[in-house]
Order: sequence, then C-alpha cells, then structure tokens
Amino acid sequence: MANKWEVFVMDLAELAEGKELELTIRTLNDGLHKYTYQRAKVEVSSKLDQFADSLQVRLGRGQLSDRKFSIRVIERVERLPAQYR
Amino acid sequence: MGKISAPRNNREFVEACVKSGDAVRIKQEVDWDNEAGAIVRRVCELGEAAPFMENIKDYPGFSYFGAPLSTYRRMAIALGMDPASTLPQIGAEYLKRTNSEPIAPVVIDKRDAPCKENILLGDDVDLCKLPVPLVHDGDGGRYVGTWHGVITKHPVRGDVNWGMYRQMMWDGRTMSGAVFPFSDLGKTLTDYYLPRGEGCPFATAIGLSPLAAMAACAPSPIPEPELCGMLSGEAVRLVKCETNDLEVPADAEIIIEGMILPDYKVEEGPFGEYTGYRTSPRDFRVTFRVDAITYRNNATMTISNMGVPQDEGQLLRSFSLGLELEKLLKSQGIPVTGVYMHPRSTHHMMIVGVKPTYAGIAMQIAQLAFGSKLGPWFHMVMVVDDQTDIFNWDEVYHAFCTRCNPERGIHVFKNTTGTALYPHATPHDRKYSIGSQVLFDCLWPVDWDKTNDVPTIVSFKNVYPKDIQEKVLNSWADYGFRGAKK
Repeated sequence: MANKWEVFVMDLAELAEGKELELTIRTLNDGLHKYTYQRAKVEVSSKLDQFADSLQVRLGRGQLSDRKFSIRVIERVERLPAQYR
Repeated sequence: MGKISAPRNNREFVEACVKSGDAVRIKQEVDWDNEAGAIVRRVCELGEAAPFMENIKDYPGFSYFGAPLSTYRRMAIALGMDPASTLPQIGAEYLKRTNSEPIAPVVIDKRDAPCKENILLGDDVDLCKLPVPLVHDGDGGRYVGTWHGVITKHPVRGDVNWGMYRQMMWDGRTMSGAVFPFSDLGKTLTDYYLPRGEGCPFATAIGLSPLAAMAACAPSPIPEPELCGMLSGEAVRLVKCETNDLEVPADAEIIIEGMILPDYKVEEGPFGEYTGYRTSPRDFRVTFRVDAITYRNNATMTISNMGVPQDEGQLLRSFSLGLELEKLLKSQGIPVTGVYMHPRSTHHMMIVGVKPTYAGIAMQIAQLAFGSKLGPWFHMVMVVDDQTDIFNWDEVYHAFCTRCNPERGIHVFKNTTGTALYPHATPHDRKYSIGSQVLFDCLWPVDWDKTNDVPTIVSFKNVYPKDIQEKVLNSWADYGFRGAKK
C-alpha cells in the first residue's frame, strides 16, 4: 500500500531531484501514529508516478505548498544517540 | 481567610462549569485530527461555553476539555467564586490569596493517587496511545502539552518549577518544545544540566486542577505547588513519579515522565501561538525523551487552542502578569492604583494607573517592569493617572491619544530580552530572544501648573455642578430618552 508523507521546508529548493536526500518526514497515513516523524534517506520526484509513495510539502509557517512529489524512502536514519534508545 | 470552595481537580471543574452553563457536553464523535482543535478555536473566538468532548475518534474512554479558562466566568468558577464576579473582584481575590501564608503540598501514597490508575512502562510507552490532538492544521505536529505543567527541579537549589512549556509529539517516545533561555527551566538547563551533559528529569502533568494550571501559568516568585495551595486554600496532593524522584499532582489526569536530553534535539513547530500568529520558526528545540506514562481511568486531556483573542493563554497570562507587576510595584512603594493587561493585547501591553506624585514615576515603573522577570513577556507599558479607569479601554485610549507627548512621552528601550514569538521582531531577534520595549507616559508633567497648565477633562461627570448632574439624570426619561439614568 502506498504511504503518504509530509515534509516541512523553508525553500522548495531543499527538495532536489535525482539525488539522495536526508529529510525529516512525517506520516500522513491514517491511524494512531499519524503525524509522527522519522529521519530518512529518500529520493523525491516531481513526477507523481515516479515512486509509489506521495509527499506533501509545507512551508516555514505551516502553509501547504501547491507542489506535490512522489517519494521513495530508502532507509530510516536513527539520530538518537544509542544510550537513549 | 474564609473557607475556599474551589474545584479540587479537573473533573470537579468540568462539572461546575456544566452546571453553571459555562461548559457543554459533546456526546457525538469528535476527530482528534483538526476537528477538536477547530471546535476549541471557535469557542475562543466567540467566547462560548467550554467544550467537554466525551467521544474521541480512535480513543475510546478518553475525553477532551477545551478552552478551560478562556473566560473570566470560568476563572471565577476555578477560584470558587460567583461566575458573575467582575474582573476587579477576581483580581482582588487573587491578590488576597497569593499574599497569604504559603500552603505546603502533601505527598500521598501511590495507591491513593488517581493518576496511577494506569501505568505504561518500557515497551508499552507510546504517546500515540493518548489522544494527542492536531490543534491547528499546518502545525508542526500533534501537541501533547497546550494546557499543562512541565515539572522540573533544580538539583542544587531544589527549586521546583511547574511551567507551561508547549510540547509537540515527535514520535511515540519523543517530544520537543519551546523553552526560552530566560525561563525558569531554561535557566536550570543552562545553569546546570547542559554544561554537565546530564539529562534533566521532567514530568508533564495534563488535566491539572484549574488552579494548578493557573499556578503553572503565573509568573510568580512563589513555588507553584505552594502557590496552588494558596489559591485553593488547601494543600496540593502530590505523588512520586515512577521513573524519577519528581513529585506530580496526584489528581492530574495524565502524567508523562522522562528526561530532557542534553545533547540531542529534534525539530519543533511551527505552532499557532498566543499572539494570534504562527511566528516562531520551526527549529531544533529542547527534546524530551519519555520513560513512562500514567493516567486516570477515562482520562481527560485539556486543550488550549492559541490564536487570535481570546484564549486562556492571553486571558490568564494577562491576568497574572498584571497582578504580579502590581505586587512588584507596590513592594517598591510606588503609589499604583492598579495594573491591567487587556487580554486582547495578547499580553503585550501593561496599563498602569498611578498617583503621579513625583517626576519620572512613569520611567521608574517601566524600568522596574521591563527589568523584572516578567519583562520579556510584554513590550509596551502605558502609564496613566489615578483618574483614568485602567479597565475602561475608552478612557485609556483617550488618555493615550491626548496626553502622551510624541517627543517626551514615548521612550524606547533597546537591546532588551524578547521572545521568538513576537510577530513584530526580526527573524534574527526572534532567534536570539532579542527584544525592544516602549513606555507610553500618559501623565501630565509634575512641573505643569495644575490650575493653569493642566487641561481640564470635559465630560459630563467632570464639568457640571452636582445639582445639575442630578437634575439631568433624574429627568432623563422625562426628556424622552430611553435607557439607564446613569
């Protein structure tokens, strides 16, 4: 099943295409964990059928951007130091 | 002081508000995702009854109580007063109680503590098991703490602090929040924990009694557990945490325990704020790692929805900031007649009434106000004389527009302490909590001759002889006018 994700950026240029990015994204899938975050290595594309998952974008003060993307989550990145896990 | 009969916990408060018509029970299902927030927001903007939402989507057994103290009526109920009490009456009661003897809290056995009815530890800990609402569409996350107390303790001085620091759920075990460097918790972190690289134990208490929430929100020098006791007239019941040595209000609905991490931060915000805007940028902020969650059966989560006036952040903060400044100024012997912050100023403008008995008195007031612990929370002080009713905006506005001399009555204070939430501040100033403040001196100069230089107020009550006033008032209906005589 395709997943829905959202990201906050100050500038859409942060979502460069054709390369691996590391972003903080939150899930928009319905359920108890909606809006929880994770850090992940991803690839994004403005072609909505490029990847299975979709990415919605919000700007600095929470404004919803008109631009939509598809996204591939390559792997989760754990930033939390080991002693706190 | 007579016996105080104030609600001892959130449940008694909800009942009292429903009984007086100041809360409504909503039985139909409400979605935690935006809908509950939208209800609370509209309640704040209309000054409506507080919503007690008993059926939350995805979270059977939990409920919400929104906008708990966004009206003076509910503030009066919280204090055990007649809901129809006037603001000056409520203020006088607050001053009376907070000038009384401190009442120390009592620590009770865990078996008697309602907040221990359910305990989640280890792998069971997941904030998503709580009905954390998305308060405003576009917020950076679901906010766990909007009307609550974050409890910490200075490890050396032993000072206990209950503060209302907003907390966003980042994931099921992590929250992040805005803790300003000049706040009590901010000072404890920078003074002790961060230099040592040690985690700071915390506990977040949600669904506090309304007076515990009032204490957590008040910028009083009195420790909050004692302050809460003084406001309610009886000792607050505390109970020890499961995973650290902090003590929390035993009658709170939900307790979240954990550690503030000294060397790890996650993003927080943006968030709809009390100024009526989303101002402070999304940033890496103080991060709370959760170790335990305890809660009452059928727990109620309290929600404050900050935005345009008026919500409890504006109302209660204006109320307590004004009264705490009044206490401070009186402690310095300044002949103030009252201090008032209109909630619609989003607690940015302090109006001070004073008997102008000596030169420079307005400047002295402003220096004390801005230089105190209260100072970073407002940036305007307006000083009017004792003939101006500080609670009557028409009179205050008239005084401001007619007596504040543009050249000598407006004094700007530069490079003071501000907050990231000030909409008028530059992005740079928000980031570093740099502020600027202004005094509007609306007093007649003391060196003006009172008979010949000071203008006379031309009003019905001021310029006509008493007998004429009485004659006109008594004949008012006979003249053909309708409405009150006075």
